[in-house]
Amino acid sequence: MGLKPVLTKDFGTEGLRQLDAYERTGGYAGYKKALSEIKPDDLVELVKKSGLRGRGGAGFPTGNKWSFLPKGMYPRYLVCNADESEPGCFKDRYLIEESPHQVLEGILIAAFAIGCNTAFIYIRGEYLPQYEALESAIEEATAAGYIGKNVLKSGFDVDVILHRGAGAYICGEETALLTSLEGYRGEPRLKPPFPAVKGLYGKPTVVNNVETVANLPHIVVNGADWFASMGTPTGKGTRVWCMSGHVNRPGNYELENGTPIRELIMEHGGGVWKNRRLKAFQPGGASMMVLLPEHLDVGLDFDAIQKAGSLAGAGAMVVMDETTCMVDAARRYVKFFHHESCGKCTPCREGTFWMSNLFDRFEFGEARPGDVDLLLDMGYNIDGRSFCPLGDASTWFPRSVIKYFRDEFEQHIAEKGCPFRKETEAAVAVA
Amino acid sequence: MASTVVTDQVTLTVNGQSVTVPKGTLILDAAKKIGIDIPIFCSHPKMAPVAVCRMCLVEVEKMPKLQPACAVYVADGMVVRTTTEQVQKYQKGVLEFLLINHPLDCPICDKGGECPLQDQTYQYGPGASRFDFEKAHFDKAVPLSDKIVLDRERCILCWRCTRFSEEISGERELALIQRGVHTIIGTFNDEPAQSNYQGNWTEICPVGALTSREYRFISRPWDLDRTASICPGCSMGCNIQVDARHNRIGRFQSRENLAVDDGWLCDFGRYSFPTFQRQGFEAPRVRQDGKLVEVSFEEAIAAAADGLAQARGAVAGWASPAATNEELFLFQRLFRQRLQSPHIDHRAFRPTWPDPDPDDMTLPIADLERCDYVVVLGGQEVIDAAPVLHLRLFKSERRGVKVLKIDAEQGARAREWVPADAQAVGILATVSHKKEATDLQAALGKKVKGSVRRLLVVRGPNGRGANDLGILPNFRPGYEGLNGQSGKGRAEWGKGGIGAAYIFEASPLHAFEATEDERRWLSGLKTLVMHRFRASPLDDLAHVIIPGRAFTEKAGTVTNMEGRVQRIGRAIDADAVPDDWMVLQAIARKLGAPWDYHESSDITADLLDLIPQYAAVDRGERVLWSERT
Repeated sequence: MGLKPVLTKDFGTEGLRQLDAYERTGGYAGYKKALSEIKPDDLVELVKKSGLRGRGGAGFPTGNKWSFLPKGMYPRYLVCNADESEPGCFKDRYLIEESPHQVLEGILIAAFAIGCNTAFIYIRGEYLPQYEALESAIEEATAAGYIGKNVLKSGFDVDVILHRGAGAYICGEETALLTSLEGYRGEPRLKPPFPAVKGLYGKPTVVNNVETVANLPHIVVNGADWFASMGTPTGKGTRVWCMSGHVNRPGNYELENGTPIRELIMEHGGGVWKNRRLKAFQPGGASMMVLLPEHLDVGLDFDAIQKAGSLAGAGAMVVMDETTCMVDAARRYVKFFHHESCGKCTPCREGTFWMSNLFDRFEFGEARPGDVDLLLDMGYNIDGRSFCPLGDASTWFPRSVIKYFRDEFEQHIAEKGCPFRKETEAAVAVA
Repeated sequence: MASTVVTDQVTLTVNGQSVTVPKGTLILDAAKKIGIDIPIFCSHPKMAPVAVCRMCLVEVEKMPKLQPACAVYVADGMVVRTTTEQVQKYQKGVLEFLLINHPLDCPICDKGGECPLQDQTYQYGPGASRFDFEKAHFDKAVPLSDKIVLDRERCILCWRCTRFSEEISGERELALIQRGVHTIIGTFNDEPAQSNYQGNWTEICPVGALTSREYRFISRPWDLDRTASICPGCSMGCNIQVDARHNRIGRFQSRENLAVDDGWLCDFGRYSFPTFQRQGFEAPRVRQDGKLVEVSFEEAIAAAADGLAQARGAVAGWASPAATNEELFLFQRLFRQRLQSPHIDHRAFRPTWPDPDPDDMTLPIADLERCDYVVVLGGQEVIDAAPVLHLRLFKSERRGVKVLKIDAEQGARAREWVPADAQAVGILATVSHKKEATDLQAALGKKVKGSVRRLLVVRGPNGRGANDLGILPNFRPGYEGLNGQSGKGRAEWGKGGIGAAYIFEASPLHAFEATEDERRWLSGLKTLVMHRFRASPLDDLAHVIIPGRAFTEKAGTVTNMEGRVQRIGRAIDADAVPDDWMVLQAIARKLGAPWDYHESSDITADLLDLIPQYAAVDRGERVLWSERT
């Protein structure tokens, strides 16, 4: 347990963004090994055996996802989801920025494994330097013969297309991403059919997160057993945690799965800033439920965090100190979802609008008795009823805050405003 | 014990009731089959499921979340519950959501009274809203085109209109713009919509967001008198409902007939109704000393009978292809039996016309979907002549039918394009290009293995009936030849020998439309009788003007291009004007005919004696001439 640099091991090496430096650290050895020694089907088995689970949020076993592709249906596509937009998440950005070739190598290995000749990278529009890093990595890899026809005389043809999104959070949802990649409005699609059967351009498609594919070169080089030796029984390997908020040393930390949250925040993060006390923290990103200091000994692992009442999501860790108004925190997140709702389905479109209005009422001292129950009831009508997880997730954080901090809501009602920030002017300024 | 397992059927229970349906049925439709109503907004039977409104969520056992009945297919042993506490609570919740930004201006909304949102709010919704904030505001009364007005506040973003534009008409004119609660419906760059199918948007809109300019603030739905009829726009024969209030037409609505219109109308037909709106009473007129003088109907009829009889058989008769079969039946009898004239026609002016025959309609409209190759000989010309055909063709294309639209002269291309192993080939053309169509049919008949059938688009809602009933100089009713006793067709009338004419112009949309030469000829006649609904450019040449009834003011039958005999209904009372068939009977009686019909339906009975195939009228079916021999 503890810090375990695998993906980030060589970060900081001078010139790591360039191909030659990347290769000096052992880069592309996995790709070469895969092409020359491993059959695609065996590669799928290898990844299954490693226990690698998707790092984008849902934690679905990667090898299984690959094996859902219907046999004999071509072309099939691999799409790397680099549309990292979850507030609190910045690991994909870090991985691309520091070592674009590692991500690219992972994509090439995945493409080879599933028999895909055209791979796509859908990168968040705001990630311009990261886009440029990937762009030049693709150029170098193409020049080196890693991308193109008959790669390294293996008979494998592969092309990688880099596409910038236009800044919509919804496009991180895999079907919305595919729709956007095809040139349409970014809106989620009805499932079934799932992307594995009918994805990009109606063809079998695998969508994998940046961090997921970045693991692949290491699994190929070091083997499934090596990978499975790290982490917990159901959460193998490491994860890059994006720590932010009221902590002394925010940043990305690659930890072996199962490391206690306490170690991440208190040791690596240097504890809560300004010598204040920890009030709450939120793993996973804006969508996920809040946890309390009593959960500090929960391990950083999909299942452990879920058992504690939240979700590991995309690996964020937002730390909140004792001065944090939890109502305001929830309000900010609700406003984010209201702003990012694509408008496709009723509960999300109308519900986030209404919740956003209702939270303002708390902030500005106009909330009335019954408003908390109204929020809970609205959550009931949104969560699980929305078209895609965006709507569902918009209710998770606020409802968890009501669960643990209902007294703060009541205080807002009783004191006609935010007890943490009496100056309403300041609240207006951020509204 | 051996038993037959039918694998393509599945049995499920909905609210405890068992139902067996084919695989691939949606929960929504399976429930409907046993009379269980699941509320919907976005779902539409002719469009792919999108599941965006979330109104239809129901409980399905073993599934953790509520499931959209409009998008989830049934499975064997599925247990569905649509009325549980959870579902009902949620239904109230989603309606509350839909209403928070809906203006609730039902009292002034055209849709009020026939509004799914209103109806379902009453049936499933909460009695009151807990939303007490300022609603999101949007533009109201936005002109989408010269036909449609959009109220963006009423819109609940069900995607039906945008999906129609994409999946039904294929024009992709409407799209969603912006996102989240700011999402709106609109056209590219706010340019006016140009589709010829916009009226359908108003019918599928589950709220009052899309309204017809012609119908705005005209009536409340419950004040409308509704009459089933047929669209007078073209020979397609789309089924309509004439909605009238205070004896004035408010609108034409579609009345789904899957075999003909598939539930849609084109704007040309739908918005043709003002043409049939009566503008006050018009007296018959007779020319006396060079001037048209108002007279009674009796006097006008007597003058007409007199003038026509005096021509002693040298009288031409033109009847509109918009007249009913009953009127046409009397018209040809009046000419052939009473006026001893075979010179009758119903067609537009053209030097020569190919003879019509029953084979012009061996391809039923709905069978376009079952062809594997369809040649539209004449391309847009065919679509313009019967616009709803486009929707059927587009639907067929989406289902894999190959459609080739080419100029009528390019039959050679079509001969190459259709492969020899084609199973069913369809040819569509207008009657003007019958020769090209029959040539192509013959050529393809030799080339391909399967069947090759054609369908000709004729002019007017009863153009086909006019052919069937022999409003032609060379055919009696039922395509019986005249054994050398053929009369003169319209193209020959001006060439001499005709002294009088009776022009029966039943619809302004399908008028006589005289050429310059014809006008000259008409002006030289001793007697010209104009029997028409609306003022005609030929009135100033007429000796007798008999005002007739509008298409919407009479009952009878019309036959569409594919030979389907359908009833039109009297939607508007026009008692001061004798029915067109009565005028024809009165003229014939003046000339000694013993006719004594009291109702248009009496004529239908006689018509059936002469043409038994028309018995199809009672079944709404096609007249199949092949059964005749």
